[in-house]
Amino acid sequence: MKEMIKMMVVLSLICGLSGVTLAALKEQTASTIEEQVLTFVQAPAIESVLSAHDNNPIKDRKKFDFEGKTITVFPAIKDGALISIAFETFGKGYGGNIGVMVGFSMASGTLSGIGITTMKETPGLGTRVAGHGYTTQFKDHSIDSVKLKKQGGDIEAVAGATISSTGTVNAVQSAVSIFNTLKPQFTDGWS
Amino acid sequence: MNRLWKEFSKGLWKDLPPFKLVLGLCPVLAVTNTADNGLGMGIAVVFVLTLSNLVVSLIRSIIPPKVRIVCFIAISASLVVAVELLMQAYAYPLYQQLGIFVPLIVVNCIILGRAEAFAFKNPPLLAIADGLGMGIGFTMSLTFLGGLRELLGKGQLFGADVTWQGFEPLGFMVEAPGAFVSLGVLLAIMNFAENVQRRRKGLKAVEGPTHDCGSCGGCSSASNC
Repeated sequence: MKEMIKMMVVLSLICGLSGVTLAALKEQTASTIEEQVLTFVQAPAIESVLSAHDNNPIKDRKKFDFEGKTITVFPAIKDGALISIAFETFGKGYGGNIGVMVGFSMASGTLSGIGITTMKETPGLGTRVAGHGYTTQFKDHSIDSVKLKKQGGDIEAVAGATISSTGTVNAVQSAVSIFNTLKPQFTDGWS
Repeated sequence: MNRLWKEFSKGLWKDLPPFKLVLGLCPVLAVTNTADNGLGMGIAVVFVLTLSNLVVSLIRSIIPPKVRIVCFIAISASLVVAVELLMQAYAYPLYQQLGIFVPLIVVNCIILGRAEAFAFKNPPLLAIADGLGMGIGFTMSLTFLGGLRELLGKGQLFGADVTWQGFEPLGFMVEAPGAFVSLGVLLAIMNFAENVQRRRKGLKAVEGPTHDCGSCGGCSSASNC
């Protein structure tokens, strides 16, 4: 009996101490890790959707609230004027959520492009939504009626990957609705 | 001091983990496609191995023998998560490269093997020496194997071009089969060299692993060697 209690106490003590230490370490590194993830995972997608700019979109990022969720918005500023913005939304794909970085051009109110950040789609099939042929269709596309052809729009789905294509389009649509609601805040956000 | 050096240096050659003990082969095969990756993985293992040896040795008197394995795993798992967090914060590209193999250090048999066979029975200083030695031996082996494969497969070393113009890289060496081939050839060369040495000393050449099994106390086949 005494041995059993000792086992329980020692094991709980070790696990508890590890837990506390790790929690503290996680707290300490959280902001650095966020910065690193943005620089290495999202930066390529952000750069591909934002038009020419002379600021650092990651450094100038701001958080906005939309229906209880926090959205991190990356601005492209040139000569002090906000040219375009980009933020990430998610759409349900075949193997989980597809993360899509959607860029909007502020002056014309059109899409400035999309880039895929994270996905777990079928390699060689669903992953082709990240390919050039598919994503370029969104460049300078009007923000109204972003739909696949079979829904009555003009976006050509990736053959054999309807679910992944739909997921991407859904993510863009939710980005559009966020953009429409928050546009005034975005305009004032960096002035 | 002498004892300390002995425990430290045995990991550098006599009990070199991947080549002599043939332990921890999963990362050895998986991440050694470049010298950089081998070095990064090795440093992560040095960190975890040394600290886990130290902690296990410090609290060895209060760990009840019946649950010692669970305690070892809890300690090494916490250290691995710590390494993972630090790596994400300060060496993200390396973290992306090593991917799943960082969390898998938890089940690397070197960590558990050294805790069980050495740290649990020895005082902290010796345990640190043992962990450092084994870890550095592991790092050297991984870096060497990674460098070899990078050199033959890409014509580079640590990412810098080192070969002459017109060198045709063997793309196969940086793929998975190249890992098996180069590890196998290296082991063969090491065993051959060992046997040549033994013959010179007038001993009989042996087949199979030539290391001294007495050092791995946890090994179930120790009595067969």
